[in-house]
Amino acid sequence: MFFHITLERNMQLHPRHFGPHLREKLVAKLMKDVEGTCSGRHGFVVAITNVEDIGKGLIREGTGFVTFPVKYQCVAFRPFKGEILEAVVTMVNKMGFFAEAGPVQIFVSNHLIPDDMEFQSGDMPNYTTSDGSVKIQKDSEVRLKIIGTRVDATEIFCIGTIKDDFLGVINDPGAAS
Amino acid sequence: MSGEEEENAAELKIGEEFLRAKCLMNCEVALILDRKYEQLQQLSDDPTNQISQVFEKSMQYVKRFSRYKNQDAVRQVREILSRYQLAEFELCVLGNLCPETVEEAIAMVPSIKRKGRIHEDDAIEKMLNDLSLIKKFE
Repeated sequence: MFFHITLERNMQLHPRHFGPHLREKLVAKLMKDVEGTCSGRHGFVVAITNVEDIGKGLIREGTGFVTFPVKYQCVAFRPFKGEILEAVVTMVNKMGFFAEAGPVQIFVSNHLIPDDMEFQSGDMPNYTTSDGSVKIQKDSEVRLKIIGTRVDATEIFCIGTIKDDFLGVINDPGAAS
Repeated sequence: MSGEEEENAAELKIGEEFLRAKCLMNCEVALILDRKYEQLQQLSDDPTNQISQVFEKSMQYVKRFSRYKNQDAVRQVREILSRYQLAEFELCVLGNLCPETVEEAIAMVPSIKRKGRIHEDDAIEKMLNDLSLIKKFE
């Protein structure tokens, strides 16, 4: 799920940036430092939307750097266990398939794919029902439920399932043609 | 962290911080990112340089999975859903997935039936009807 949250960060600024454009410098540095990063607690920071407040700077002894506490709002993406969302299939193999929902990768193991779907190897590996009516392959859109998350320092990785009511393929690019 | 073990979106256990935060539906995120992208384009000739992979992937994702494209429809969806005393998180799951039946809605957001809240099947059905109407007249 995407969230609009308020975060705080202490920014260090080199003395050469002090002057009439201090605020702009600080905001530019904040965007460069924070956008695109990921933390286990807040998820992926997609975009900063607003800088709410820049506090009083504190000069660091010895270096001349100044630390500013900055309060900003941003769009963040954080997956939760139990959450149901839609994702695009990126890779299919006999172990299961990988899907992407925005910045996050989700793996669905073949144990969590309905039993009536069989793996088919070939040019376009896929999972297909015995009557061939439903097919999961690269670029399919699926609706899945997140059942586990693994949080790294710089990445969040999810395990999902499509073995439940109202989950599974929602759009198959191959079926239309 | 001890709180992490308990996390379960189906029961609305997503941590105090996120429960209080404003959730965004995919279509809302699409509007925000679009505007941001335009701003970046004005600032420099080559915006692709400044855009993080996270931004790019998110933008592709929300564009692909936005149920509502125009700004008025997006606003209406939020307005209608907010009449039903839903938590932010529940509101956005419903807005994102647009379930068609009451059973589907409950499967997507199990928490709307718990905690003795006033959500009768009739109320849920009316809510889903209202949603599909917006889609129809968009």
